[in-house]
Amino acid sequence: MTTSALNVRNLAKDYAGEKALKGVSFEVPRGALFGVIGADGAGKSSLLTILATLLDADSGEADVLGLNLKNDFKTLRQRIAFMPQRFSLYPDLSVAENLHFFADLYDFETAEKEKRMADLLRFSALEPFQKRRAGLLSGGMKQKLALCCCLLHSPSLIFLDEPTVGVDPVARRDFWKLLKSLKSQGITLVVSTPYMDEAKLCDTLLLLHQGYVLSQGSPEEMLAQYPYALHRIHGSKPLHFSARQTPPQGVALVYPAGGELRAATAKDVPDNDLWKQFPGAESSGHVPPDIEDLLFALLSRESTNAGQTA
Amino acid sequence: MNASLRRIAVAARKEFLHIIRDPQSLFIVIMLPVVMMFLYGYALNADIHNAELVIEQPVPSPAARVLESRLDGSPFFAVTQILPPSSDPTQVFRARHTRALLRLPPDLDAGLRRPGAASMQVVVDGSDPNVGAQMRAAVEGATQKILLDHLNMKPPKILDQRTVVLYNPQQRSALFFVPGLMAIILLMISALLTSIAITKEKETGTLSQLLITPLRPREIIAGKLLPYVALASLDGILILTVGYLVFGVRVAGSVTFLALCSLAYIFTALSIGLLISTLAKRQLHAMMMTQLATMLPTVMLSGFIFPVSSMPMVLRGISHIVPATYYLQIVRGIILKGVGLHELWIPLLVLCAQGILLFMISVFKFRVKL
Repeated sequence: MTTSALNVRNLAKDYAGEKALKGVSFEVPRGALFGVIGADGAGKSSLLTILATLLDADSGEADVLGLNLKNDFKTLRQRIAFMPQRFSLYPDLSVAENLHFFADLYDFETAEKEKRMADLLRFSALEPFQKRRAGLLSGGMKQKLALCCCLLHSPSLIFLDEPTVGVDPVARRDFWKLLKSLKSQGITLVVSTPYMDEAKLCDTLLLLHQGYVLSQGSPEEMLAQYPYALHRIHGSKPLHFSARQTPPQGVALVYPAGGELRAATAKDVPDNDLWKQFPGAESSGHVPPDIEDLLFALLSRESTNAGQTA
Repeated sequence: MNASLRRIAVAARKEFLHIIRDPQSLFIVIMLPVVMMFLYGYALNADIHNAELVIEQPVPSPAARVLESRLDGSPFFAVTQILPPSSDPTQVFRARHTRALLRLPPDLDAGLRRPGAASMQVVVDGSDPNVGAQMRAAVEGATQKILLDHLNMKPPKILDQRTVVLYNPQQRSALFFVPGLMAIILLMISALLTSIAITKEKETGTLSQLLITPLRPREIIAGKLLPYVALASLDGILILTVGYLVFGVRVAGSVTFLALCSLAYIFTALSIGLLISTLAKRQLHAMMMTQLATMLPTVMLSGFIFPVSSMPMVLRGISHIVPATYYLQIVRGIILKGVGLHELWIPLLVLCAQGILLFMISVFKFRVKL
């Protein structure tokens, strides 16, 4: 098929008087693992809820799986799944009862239903917990159960809104393994996350900030846009740099990162004992930027531009 | 099986699981009617019984002695004290807990011998108008009768007046409140529980999952209703059973017809709850809205306590849109008078029309988006 899984054109939405989305456009190819990243309040949830047919946009157009979002939402609902940010299954029902409920709503033959449920329980490793009430599951297991319920009707596209928030690191890694295996089955996945380390696991990214698109592309493409050279400044004691302090001469941006500092300079600036300009620092060296560094760089440029135009 | 009916059954089964997984709420739903019946049956009895009475007696006399002992012996009064005359009767009401004060004259026996010469005063505490009026009539009537008996006299007869009380000859209030409680409790269970049931899905976010499934709005709604129809019916049976066993209230008319009419009423009550839950965003709002829209008009304006005919015009108008007004006519008609469809088709028709209208509005109002 030539059509893309998602084609979003200039989508806008006001939420409680605030502009949640200010004209967002992007495209997602079929079978992609697409990440929507951004801080809290960037508009991730609004975007996913709208695309999952649950909320109407104020303006803009979107085609989902080749269907018009506004007019064909009823047909569309049979082919997509949505996993909301909050655990949205029934906590007083057991794992099996939750699955049965959603499975029974579709017209499966009994044998087909049993097979799907067994497959999903094995896939999610929830088999031993079938009888446990959903409300008593750990955060990670809850999310796996929610994913299973989404998968029952074999959707071609799944929207997952911050599925790993509040989930421990091991369970987070497990969950992403499941997503990868779904991708290998050809299912398109649109995942939002505030965790920058998860961004690297996606094929394509959309970087949202305050309702508009800051950057988009594959992680490699996006990192290639990084406008600075990045240095790590290390000391034997944790280093601090407050946002109110002015960076030293020739340094565009300084921020703390796990006890060290990151300093961004113009690309042609060699490292040349950069650490000497920071009290308490003992060494420095080049590091490759990651998505979070890119976000900081883009944001600092935004605010400078905004300052100049104002 | 029809796919739509099958989905309704699936949704109803899930709702049933929610109900039995919450035994505390279930216990309240089942015990509430019983507790309310005992409260209404015993504590909230409006008839006077053993009401405190104080007699002011200046001089002991045979007539005063008879009056005192027979008043005390009656089931209506308890003579709590005999006092010497005081100048200010209000002192008696301030100092003692009494409902009425009977002030006898010093020359009671002498006065009784000359017709029209004896006088006495009854002072009644009117702070509770109902009790005050009953006390006044009861004390006045009882003293006249006792003193006539004492003098071996019969009251003069100006006409032969005979009153026949139909349907509730002993005027027991149980016969009145058991049908009334059916109206209150069925409404409370049905409207309140459904209004919460859908709002809960909104509040916990599960509605977003339901909307993406093939469940249609009318299937979601019907699936929600069915278990609560069963629960409310159970309460109806419980009220009638306790009413019969404890309060001796028999259904004079057809029990089957009563059951059918009650189902129509339950359906209407559930539809009110549904409409509220499609409008309210939070469970707390839904609860408060239901209280306001159902309990208040039902208790105050349906004729459960106060007769509709004595209400001011505006309230009487409102009482005509309260479903319980019609259900009370039906349920009192069947239980007390033993009448059937021939006499009750108008209120039954109104009740069904209200239910269908409300149900259609809630299906129409149900948003397929968040």
